[in-house]
Amino acid sequence: MTATVDWAPVLDADPLLQITQDLFATMIDDEPGYVSHWEGERPELEDARHTWVDVADEQIVRVVIGTGRETGEAITRALLRMAPGEEVTDEDFVDAVGEVANVVCGNVKSLVTHPGTLTIPVVADAPPPLGDGERLVDACLSWRGAPLTVSLWVLP
Amino acid sequence: MKVIVADDSRVMRQIVIRTLRQAGYDWWEIEEAEDGADALAKIRATAPDFVLSDWNMPNMTGIDLLRALRAEGNETPFAFVTSEGSPQMREQADEAGALFLIAKPFTADIFRETIDPFIG
Repeated sequence: MTATVDWAPVLDADPLLQITQDLFATMIDDEPGYVSHWEGERPELEDARHTWVDVADEQIVRVVIGTGRETGEAITRALLRMAPGEEVTDEDFVDAVGEVANVVCGNVKSLVTHPGTLTIPVVADAPPPLGDGERLVDACLSWRGAPLTVSLWVLP
Repeated sequence: MKVIVADDSRVMRQIVIRTLRQAGYDWWEIEEAEDGADALAKIRATAPDFVLSDWNMPNMTGIDLLRALRAEGNETPFAFVTSEGSPQMREQADEAGALFLIAKPFTADIFRETIDPFIG
C-alpha cells in the first residue's frame, strides 16, 4: 500500500455497502431499503458479469462489481426507467452497469483521497486479471434479493 | 435557456436530464454531448447559457474542456456532475472557474439546492 493513501475509511464492507445503498436509493430505486448485506452462504452469480473501474496511479486501485446478467438487466431497466421485461441491449447493459461501477469507484476514491485518475468502465463475462493484487474488501450484498458483489483491490 | 449536458455515458446523460426535469428545470433546452471534445465543438457552435459536464471522459476530460473554454475567453457558466467529490477535485474545479461540483449519486433536491443559487 502506498504511504500517500489512507485506506482506513474503506477497510471493511460497510463503506462499500453505504456507497452502494446511496447509489441505489437515489438513482435506481428512488427510495432506500433495497440493498443490504447478503444473509447466509455466499451464492454463485448466475450467468455472471464483472464490471470494473480502476483508479490509475503508481498502484492501481480496482473496484469490481459482480452481478448475474439478469440482475444487471434489472439495474439497467431501473436506471433507464424501462418497462419490466423490456429487452436490454448489450450497449445499454454495458453503459448502465459500467456507471454503477464508476460511481462506486469514484466514491471510494473520494474517501481515500487517492491522487489517481478513474478509468473507463470495463464489463466482461470473466473476472478481471488481478495477478498479485491485494483484496482489501470483498462484500456480498443483496439488491431486491439478488446477489451483488463489490470488491476493492490494490494491484502492484 | 440553452444547456449542454456532457457525459460519455448515454445512460448517465439520460439520468442527469431526467433529474434536471424533476428538479424543475423542465423549460431548459438541453443538448447532449458525448465527451469533452464534442462539448467544446457544440459550445462554440451554439453558445449555450450553461454547461453541466462529467469530469472523466475520453477524448477530452471535463476539466480540460473548462480550461480550454477559459483559455479562449469563453466564460459560459460551467459546472460538474461527477462520481468524484473529493475536496481536491472541488478545489481544482473552483480554480478552473467552475460554479460548483455535484457528486454522483445525486437527487433532484440536491440539483435544485445546488443549481438555483447560480442559475435561477
